[in-house]
Amino acid sequence: MSQGGGVRRLSSRGGVVPFLLLLALVLLAILPESLTGIDPLSQHARLVLAPPLTSGHPLGCDFLGRDLWSRLVSGSLVSLTVGVSVGILSTVIGGVWGILSGFLGRPWDPVMMRTLEIWYALPEILIATLLMLVLGHGLLAVVVALSIGGWMGVARVLRAETLRLREAVFMDAARSSGVSPLRLVFRHFLPNVMPVVFVMVLFRIPGGILGESTLSFLGLGLAPPQASWGVLVNEGWKALPVSAFMLIWPAAFIVLSLVSFQILADRLGRRFGVGR
Amino acid sequence: MRRIVSRLFSSLLLLWAVFTLTFLLTRFAPGNPFSQGRHLPPEVMANLMSVYHLDRPLLVQYLLTLRQTLEGDLGVSYKATGIPVSEILSQTLPVSLSLGFAALCLSLFLGLLGGILIGVGPPALSRTLRWATTLLVGLPSFLLAAVLIDLLALHGGFFPVALWEGWRSAVLPVLALAVAPAGYLARVFAASMEETLESPFYRTAVAKGVGAGRRIFFHLVLPSLNAVLSLLGPLAAAFLTGSFVVETVFAIPGMGRVFVLSVMNRDYPLIMGTTLVYTVFLTVAILVGDLLSEAVDPRVRSV
Repeated sequence: MSQGGGVRRLSSRGGVVPFLLLLALVLLAILPESLTGIDPLSQHARLVLAPPLTSGHPLGCDFLGRDLWSRLVSGSLVSLTVGVSVGILSTVIGGVWGILSGFLGRPWDPVMMRTLEIWYALPEILIATLLMLVLGHGLLAVVVALSIGGWMGVARVLRAETLRLREAVFMDAARSSGVSPLRLVFRHFLPNVMPVVFVMVLFRIPGGILGESTLSFLGLGLAPPQASWGVLVNEGWKALPVSAFMLIWPAAFIVLSLVSFQILADRLGRRFGVGR
Repeated sequence: MRRIVSRLFSSLLLLWAVFTLTFLLTRFAPGNPFSQGRHLPPEVMANLMSVYHLDRPLLVQYLLTLRQTLEGDLGVSYKATGIPVSEILSQTLPVSLSLGFAALCLSLFLGLLGGILIGVGPPALSRTLRWATTLLVGLPSFLLAAVLIDLLALHGGFFPVALWEGWRSAVLPVLALAVAPAGYLARVFAASMEETLESPFYRTAVAKGVGAGRRIFFHLVLPSLNAVLSLLGPLAAAFLTGSFVVETVFAIPGMGRVFVLSVMNRDYPLIMGTTLVYTVFLTVAILVGDLLSEAVDPRVRSV
């Protein structure tokens, strides 16, 4: 599926704003306690569902009187960690599969690709949900489940890239000058797929964030009191009839990060000629 | 014909793989399906385990379950004691199917309309729609559902907040399910049309002076439709994942809700039944999509 010229043109100038937004989110996530100064788990009966701008609690408090700002900040760390880890792990799985498939050729390549096609029929969340049965509800479980659920697209792209590079002139040159196979792979091949690998990680990060928040929202992912954007949305959803702000903050963070990652990935993907 | 047979064969392979995987995952899951929320005397537990063959060796369990499934018997739910899985599925599947079908129609309509407007609409509208579709791709369905419920149900009072009774209760879930895939469809369709715009036959049509309406419909829209048809499989997957969320949010008694609950309850036969039905549904969707796009554009066949 190639991204059309229209979508290309759309984001050609819009790379700076999403980058700054993501930078702000990451900074927020890695500076938690010192920034908020409030324990995200401490409860105050007096502050139950305190509205935003209550003194000391700029975003208000949830139904247990926990400070929403500090919960959001610590949840950002969890969600971004899951997103980036899923991006890296699913790219590693898909990369190994795709590159091996491309390099081995017949008879392995058709078998590996057929297996992939079969696996590809199942949606990420379905696979991840089934895997969560065995893995439990920890951070690592969510990362592993979502990565095993969603590596197939990466494998496809990297196989195509491998096939392209295998036939490239510089590879022929290296081969014909008698470079050892190991050196061929590590010195000539890998440095040239790295840009695509990097783009694929970026493509997969929003998938990881969305997957985590969907699982946690359904109650199948991370378990409270651990905060993540998905857990917060789940809690905010339950409180929706009473007040909307508990839902609005994590929702805004999710949408901003997803759109930012999407635009950045599209932009980088175009630069390195990788469509989705 | 040979292609269809080979596709059917790989569909069967997928079904078997999914069956085996689901079986292993449920059997290796920590905890016990009967020990949730209550303490049973050891004799009762042993009795339950033997009734459901859970005390037999793994391979025996596997073969027993496989034979049972091949005979068309999906077993009995652990949680809703005594109710056959097939009965639960036959009650919930039609709900999910009608929800999914309505959402498919709506998202095809919105997606194609959006794609055409992006492709050949006035520049300002086209630009706005492009931004909108980018935002939609980043809008999870549970958030859209929450916004819809808050604005149109809780505050507006135009539609019911939840449940599945009459057409009014279907409006919000169908919208929540259809909008994000529609955005994706519109993007893909617009991209496909931009490729068609640069094709020689379209330039020929312009040069010949074919009328605008005829040109856009026959020379631009129809040749670009193929990209959309091949998306039927991914779309089905999107509706499936969406149905987990939307049915949970709107408390709709459909299969997505049953699946999520069965995983929470460790109701093995129900997990197996829903997963197998989903797999059949997905492979059929992919097969139909491929056959349709081959029928429209025979060149696809050689790929």
